[in-house]
Amino acid sequence: MFESILSYGLAVGAVYALIGITYNVMYSASRVFSFTAGMLGMLGGVLGAWFIAKLGLPVIVGLVLVLACGAVIGIVTEIVTVRPVLKSIEQHLYVLSTLAFALMVQQFTAIEWGTEAQPFPRLIPIGPGWLDQQFWLPMLACAATIFGLEFLYRRTLIGRAFLAIAEDSYAARALGLPEQRLRLASFALAGMIGTLAGFTGAEMLLAFFGNQSILNFYGFVPVALGGMGSNRGAVVGGLALGLFQQAANFLVGGIFAAVAVFVVFIVVLLLRPEGLGGAAAARRV
Amino acid sequence: MSIRRRQVLSGSAAGAVSLASGLAAPAIAANEPIKIGYLPALTGPSSSTGIGINRGTLLAVDEVNASGGINGRKIELIVRDTQSDPTKAVNAVAELTQRQKVSIIWGPLNSGEALAATPLIARDKVPMLHPCWVDSLIDVKKYPMAFRNAPTNTQVGAAANRYVVDILKLKKVAVVSDTTGYGTASVETYVPMLKAKGAEVVYSGHIDAANPDLKPDMLRMRDSGAQAIMPWSVNAGFLSRILNTRGAMGWDVPVVGQTTLGSGQTKALLEKPENWNKVYSNNFRNVCYKDGKLSARGQEFVEHLRKAKIEMGDTLLWWIALGWDGARLMAETIKAAGGTAPEQIVGYWNKLKDWPGVYGTVTWTPEQHNGFPDEEVVMCEVNSLKDGAFNLAPGYSS
Amino acid sequence: MDASAQPISVRAARPSRLARLEAALPWLALAVAGIGLPLLDDSYAGVIAQRACIYWILCAGLNLVVGFAGQIAIGWVALLTLGAYTTAVLTAGTVTAEWHPYLALAASAVFGAIFGVVVGLPALRLRTFYFAMTTLGFATIVTQVALAWKSVTGGGIGTPGPVFPWPFDPGWGFYYFCLLLAAIATWMTANIAHSRFGRALVAVRDAEVAAEASGIAKPRLLVTVFLFSGALAGVAGGLFSSLQSYITPDAFTFDLSVLFFIAILIGGRGSILGPLLGTIILTVLPEFAAPLVAWSTFLYATLLLLIVLVIPGGIADLLDYKNRRPLEQHREITPRPELLGQVFRHGRDSREFTLSNIALHFGGVRAIDGLDLAVRSGEVHGLIGPNGSGKTTTLNVISGYYAPHAGEARLNREPLPFLMPHRRAAYGIARTFQTPRLIGGASVLENVMIGGTIDGQATFTESMLTLPRHRRDEAQLREAATLALTTVGLESLAGVRADRLQHSELRFMEIARALMLRPAFLLLDEPAAGLSAEEIRRLGALIKAISRQGAGVLLVEHHADLIFDICDRVTVLNLGKVLAAGTPTEIRSHREVVSAYLGA
Repeated sequence: MFESILSYGLAVGAVYALIGITYNVMYSASRVFSFTAGMLGMLGGVLGAWFIAKLGLPVIVGLVLVLACGAVIGIVTEIVTVRPVLKSIEQHLYVLSTLAFALMVQQFTAIEWGTEAQPFPRLIPIGPGWLDQQFWLPMLACAATIFGLEFLYRRTLIGRAFLAIAEDSYAARALGLPEQRLRLASFALAGMIGTLAGFTGAEMLLAFFGNQSILNFYGFVPVALGGMGSNRGAVVGGLALGLFQQAANFLVGGIFAAVAVFVVFIVVLLLRPEGLGGAAAARRV
Repeated sequence: MSIRRRQVLSGSAAGAVSLASGLAAPAIAANEPIKIGYLPALTGPSSSTGIGINRGTLLAVDEVNASGGINGRKIELIVRDTQSDPTKAVNAVAELTQRQKVSIIWGPLNSGEALAATPLIARDKVPMLHPCWVDSLIDVKKYPMAFRNAPTNTQVGAAANRYVVDILKLKKVAVVSDTTGYGTASVETYVPMLKAKGAEVVYSGHIDAANPDLKPDMLRMRDSGAQAIMPWSVNAGFLSRILNTRGAMGWDVPVVGQTTLGSGQTKALLEKPENWNKVYSNNFRNVCYKDGKLSARGQEFVEHLRKAKIEMGDTLLWWIALGWDGARLMAETIKAAGGTAPEQIVGYWNKLKDWPGVYGTVTWTPEQHNGFPDEEVVMCEVNSLKDGAFNLAPGYSS
Repeated sequence: MDASAQPISVRAARPSRLARLEAALPWLALAVAGIGLPLLDDSYAGVIAQRACIYWILCAGLNLVVGFAGQIAIGWVALLTLGAYTTAVLTAGTVTAEWHPYLALAASAVFGAIFGVVVGLPALRLRTFYFAMTTLGFATIVTQVALAWKSVTGGGIGTPGPVFPWPFDPGWGFYYFCLLLAAIATWMTANIAHSRFGRALVAVRDAEVAAEASGIAKPRLLVTVFLFSGALAGVAGGLFSSLQSYITPDAFTFDLSVLFFIAILIGGRGSILGPLLGTIILTVLPEFAAPLVAWSTFLYATLLLLIVLVIPGGIADLLDYKNRRPLEQHREITPRPELLGQVFRHGRDSREFTLSNIALHFGGVRAIDGLDLAVRSGEVHGLIGPNGSGKTTTLNVISGYYAPHAGEARLNREPLPFLMPHRRAAYGIARTFQTPRLIGGASVLENVMIGGTIDGQATFTESMLTLPRHRRDEAQLREAATLALTTVGLESLAGVRADRLQHSELRFMEIARALMLRPAFLLLDEPAAGLSAEEIRRLGALIKAISRQGAGVLLVEHHADLIFDICDRVTVLNLGKVLAAGTPTEIRSHREVVSAYLGA
């Protein structure tokens, strides 16, 4: 029982953490909370199943294609739903435009791909048991993403440019940084991270459209608790959420476990609106 | 004396009415299509049944129309996809009964939608035929025009329970379901039935079908000493997870339950083919293989489907048969009853005896609108799937 | 002020009879269509119409939450579920004795109200997106509870819905019941929309800071709205369970929540007619073609995206002909300071406002470092200094947005509490902002009426039912706002959408809004920024006249000429400290001031 909580909890928690990082990357570049993070996760699973299971492509090729699609969808998201809205005075609209886009993609998937969960192919023949690759693949992906992002932000110029935009976009623009192109690149990056999350997690979650709502919410919890923009907080929050959810499943069973997660989420948020690690709100006057 | 006079009077009044309507009928009815309302769930979470049944229904209707229709009138099947959503079902019922003015409604095909639709169809006084299993859907007093050509939940559960307790001779059972209306109703009904048979229900519960990890629940079942698992759900993802977890745990107990255990969708989601061993699901005698052969009716039907090039491998034979039977029954009723008036249809149905369906032999009486016979509900061996049909489970005597 | 002149009568322009008829036209058309529907003898249309009425009852309430208050409450279907189950369970008699359907419906309203507050309460603490997620969480929780609580709700099997007695029995009778309740819901929400509560909601949404400065307390306002909206949603739920005749948890889908939300946004925020049309369209749309049913949510989402990108104002914007008429190009602002006598007729009696030894730091930065300031009534007190010297921060401390780490503020020797900015208005402290805070979608008159919100006497319920006190309030507010607008010289733009105004006009509009409080102290944050020279001169005359009415004006400015022209006293800040204080003449020649700020 204990290994099950540990292996499943950490694995699914890693997926949630990656979705949380997806939210963060999109937020940092644009100060936009995008509803498309869960959508990217869902597409990672669905497209992966399509490429590998239906079209019969080799696993590596499938993965690369899925990441490429993720980047493209991220770019489309930015162009269609974020850019036009940031230009207008009514800033809140981005919530609606990203919501609308995410819903469109979800419904389209439900109708074209079908509403039944489809199997996701086995990626590497290791397992079963608690060392099964369906468990440590997401964790591996999560670790790789964290290290990759750290490297990007600290060592490369483009990464530091991302950080600059996130800190103070006016100043960054004044310094000559191409804000729009950087934002585009951020969304492409977020697209890849999101689809990677869905791809590695699909063996557990299966490939179907319903994952979008699940990942949207459970991927947001680590961000809300760890503080918007904090990737470390997202990882800690995600893993903790995964373990908590699994433990609740064991102790009280399905329905009440979900209720327990929601209640804890709402209570923590009400006590600490900026998250457990976040900073207080900025000056508004 | 007075009674007899009343009877005579009412009899002659009825006769006068039917004569009058009979005289009036030809003028209107000559070449107008017969409208039949059809409420499948072709999309949405519970659509696998609908897709299978749909094949049978469409085939039957096409064939009837191709051979000239009923007394020269074609059947117009008015399809409204309910999307597994009761609100859409309600809207569709209103359209079919009020605007389209259909003569019969076939469906809904899912219990959740049928629960909402049945009272409304009864209120609009339209004859209704459906294959849903939830017991409370049929009630001759509340819904005098509703008839069912499939077994009730009770019958299905009784067959499964009979197999576990009487044939496999197991005492300790775990009964689980998903959280849908159908699933929860099943568990509510079957647990007392098992106890009445002398079995011990060591574990029972409802599990969220979207939950990817069933290990906790399965471990609890094993710890409670269950010798058999009986899952009740039409959700292929959920059922496959049970089978996969059982395989991963190396826990060798039989799984006896809902028909969807044997569907193509469930098979596709299995991690290993061995996970499909020792799994027995509900099925229906006519469409099961015994000693390698289907019943005569079943065999004839399968040949028919092959000739019409209907795909069987990715769904279940009995769904297609059910759809076929429903459509054919409606067509024959209208032909035999001589018209589409509700009294004619309901009158014919109330007297139907041993109607030879491929799916099942249907009998109705004015007091009993559940038409499926007990003995035709059987268990089949799931890993013997061939062309959508299965072998009869081991242990049946006849 | 010219005491011998007759007070110029400034009447608020009442909309002409033709204009009122024009406004009433769509409602009349809807009423006729609604009442006459049974004539079509199409029960199917009746079912769809019932559904539209029920959805609209919920959306009418949600409109106040989403459209007016601007809260992204996506999971409102939770309240529909709650209302439906409450009515169904109470009338079924499975848990309690059988209730009469009307009573059960009333119970749904009560439960809906309570849970409306529960679901909505996080809005007071959380940012938009976070709040949206919590509402989604609530929607899931309610559905899960409905599934799990088998003994009450019937679990997955569900429970039968109520049947209302004659004359509202199923069929056209029930249709009229739904239509009646929908009409009542429309009437009530329209009344709220055209009351100070509706305007306050929009103010909180679009210009929260200005709303606070006008005395609007966000928490109480939002809680009231959640109570009301929740009650409407509960009633809608009860009616829904009757329409469905049998409810199961799977009827309350995420798609339904999305439908409600999108209907309001397609209709346009801040409007009643728009969301009503939006709801009708979205309910009816899938029925036009059978294939559309499967794609309905996709279509809703596409519509939403189009609206957001192309017409953010929604249908309401499309129908707003008045605001497409071109405005006069070369407009001049001609204030009428002589009217200030009428504005301040019921003025306040306050003498002095003082800050003593205020210290405030943000992290390591000392924004204000030991500040003493005194503003006396009847005086114009200028506050100048380089950028970053703490001028706006000082205003914010006086307004109550920041609490200093040391020091205190006193009004006539009474200490003033901090961090309660919405209480300042009651003390007669009004202000304008460095960047004009306006409600773009509302008219200039409505923007100014916001300033007088706390003068209203009518309660929420009285406004909801347009009782006499509400009508009196509205008439008085209108008069006062028109007077204020005429005083600052913008009366010709009273009916124009505020976002069509030029920058300089917005600045004067803010002053009009502040005048609504008949302020004892007026804080002006760089009101001359962006004004032409002539406008600055007129502004100066207006400010001087305001102070002559007895108000104490604290003027933060960069335009040195304006400061030295009209100020009676000047304080110079530098790096959070007072560099110099005195009369304009003294300051102008003060050596340090000249070197630090003014230049030679």
